[in-house]
Amino acid sequence: MDFELNEDQIAILHGLDQMLAGLQIEPPRHGETLVYGAAVDSELASSGFLDVGREQNFSTLESALIAERLARLPVTVEASSSAIIGPLFPPDEVERPLALAQGSPLVPARFLPQARSLLVDLGDDLLHVSVDPARVEPVDSLFAYPYGRLTRLEGLMTRSLGRGALAPFRRRWRMALAAESAGLMRSAMDTVLEHVKTRHQFGRPLGSFQAIQHRLAMGSGTMNGTYWLAMRAAWTDSDSDCAVAATYAQDAIPTFTYDLHQFCGAMGLTLEFPLHYWTYRLKALLGELGGSSAQARAASALTWTRA
Amino acid sequence: MREVNGDRWLDLFRIEARDWLRANKPNHIAPLEGPESRHYVLDWQRRQYEGGWAGLTWPREYGGRSLSVAEQIVWFEEYARAGAPSTHNASFVGLNHAGPTLIACGTDEQKAFHLPKILSGEAIWCQGFSEPGSGSDLASLRTKGRIEGDELIVDGQKIWSSYADIADFQELLVRTDPDSKRHAGISWVICPMNLPGITVRPIRTMAGPSKFCEVFYDHVRLPLKDAVVGGLNNGWKTAMATLGFERGTASLALQIKLIEQVDVLARDCGDAMLAPRIADLRADAAALKAMSYSFALAAAASGTPGPEGSLIRLFFAELSRRVSEAAVDLYGIGSSELAGDHGWAYDYLEAYSETIAGGTAEIQRNIIGERVLGLPRGKA
Repeated sequence: MDFELNEDQIAILHGLDQMLAGLQIEPPRHGETLVYGAAVDSELASSGFLDVGREQNFSTLESALIAERLARLPVTVEASSSAIIGPLFPPDEVERPLALAQGSPLVPARFLPQARSLLVDLGDDLLHVSVDPARVEPVDSLFAYPYGRLTRLEGLMTRSLGRGALAPFRRRWRMALAAESAGLMRSAMDTVLEHVKTRHQFGRPLGSFQAIQHRLAMGSGTMNGTYWLAMRAAWTDSDSDCAVAATYAQDAIPTFTYDLHQFCGAMGLTLEFPLHYWTYRLKALLGELGGSSAQARAASALTWTRA
Repeated sequence: MREVNGDRWLDLFRIEARDWLRANKPNHIAPLEGPESRHYVLDWQRRQYEGGWAGLTWPREYGGRSLSVAEQIVWFEEYARAGAPSTHNASFVGLNHAGPTLIACGTDEQKAFHLPKILSGEAIWCQGFSEPGSGSDLASLRTKGRIEGDELIVDGQKIWSSYADIADFQELLVRTDPDSKRHAGISWVICPMNLPGITVRPIRTMAGPSKFCEVFYDHVRLPLKDAVVGGLNNGWKTAMATLGFERGTASLALQIKLIEQVDVLARDCGDAMLAPRIADLRADAAALKAMSYSFALAAAASGTPGPEGSLIRLFFAELSRRVSEAAVDLYGIGSSELAGDHGWAYDYLEAYSETIAGGTAEIQRNIIGERVLGLPRGKA
């Protein structure tokens, strides 16, 4: 077992951090719930970070590290799917940004307003849709990702990627979900730790109260658990590990986000406090791919089928 | 409970309530903020008042009907089943804790002036308790009330004053004795929101609307005689009565609505994995119902709710969150059930405030530990 990043991984993350430091990333202004990081997206597209998973010397682990790091940003950008699911397909056939859907190509999907490709899990086939932005209507959402819906499918270029593409697609979707959740949790936790150290009530910092310390300690365990399960899933790229990581993340999100908001009081419920940059997105991921009960069912089926 | 379910009069009352709601419930969606919200809330309150359905337990001389809590519960049950507008709106403070505080602690003149206005949909109230530096530690409040002749001059700042931008009056806590510390030297005053020197700044919440507000007071002059409720420098005691109502009986209608919502989830649940979770929620909802009803009956008998209200407040707040989380799982994040101003997504985000408003869940736990269970008081 090796929990240390190797030299290549450290270099990749260092390069990513340097690239991000060179960008003027403006978090949402007061009253805004969503800012799509167009400049980040553009840099990512040209810098090759999202294609690391296609390189022979690298794996999904490097892709997941990148997805986790990008999720920590205060702005939203389509990176997890491109970094982790994208390498399953030739880049010229399935162009990024990617939007993902389940059941039907006409349901609301994250990042569809930006997407050039929509991948749809139809249950018995994986459908690829080349997205025409004129066919996308934005869907109002409180959850800080840009959501959109195709107005109709007729006339759009679609093709079947085959039943065999479904299992890897679902596996990587779950991996992306877990890695993104881990990054969001990290930034949200950092924000709250800063708050409880500096906000005083009853003459002392909030963070000195044991009731708060205990639950933040539990949240820290949750955050680390999510991270390490996501990394394990990325390392093995196995169906069951990915399902377990997604189950853990989706199960953990409600209590984790609730506790973080709770310790910021009413201020934490407003758009004037930065916590929502990350927790809105966590809340959206909570329901993705059918939610935690669907992940748990998948984890059970994928882990013990042959037992 | 026997009284609620078994009494022939209550059965007839229930039928009457159901028929009236069917004929009078608004058909258009309630706006969540701004002047439209004010008009909507006042219109609906006026309609209930004219129909004889406002202030069921309030004294008859102030526009109520002097009925028992049993009738109130029946009304709320039918109200929830009819899908009538949420009671968690701009009329909430007036009806559920400012009004009851005036009944318990106000002068005859204050009651005669304000209570009929609240019931008949003429006035909206907001709360001015919390300050930027005084949240859970409410007794550290610093907004000043200086007596000058027969006036009280208010300077300072309040925050989290829901609907202050559309309110007519505010239940306001000010420090009237600057030499006193903490709980002493505070007064509970009625502040008309149209006075010179008041500035209101709405704050947008993550659930969408800008119902939270910050309120600034710059030499606001209140007539001393009309303003003070429960005695000058005795405001902490009056505030505890207000918080007793807020934590105890104010959410009864919302609790009953939540119980109805759990039944909706149970009806819609076709997911075998989710079914045990929904069953757990139903069990919790049944427990909440029993606790709420018994507490409401006991509070009515004693006049003011006791600290046990914190048990129900905490149980309700945490159940609200779990119910809306289950709804998100059940329907899926992109579903129509979650969309819109009154969908489950709104409820889910709004539920976060339930364990903060009226005293955080941590404060409620302290109250339960110290005042209900009789445990030793910890160091602040």
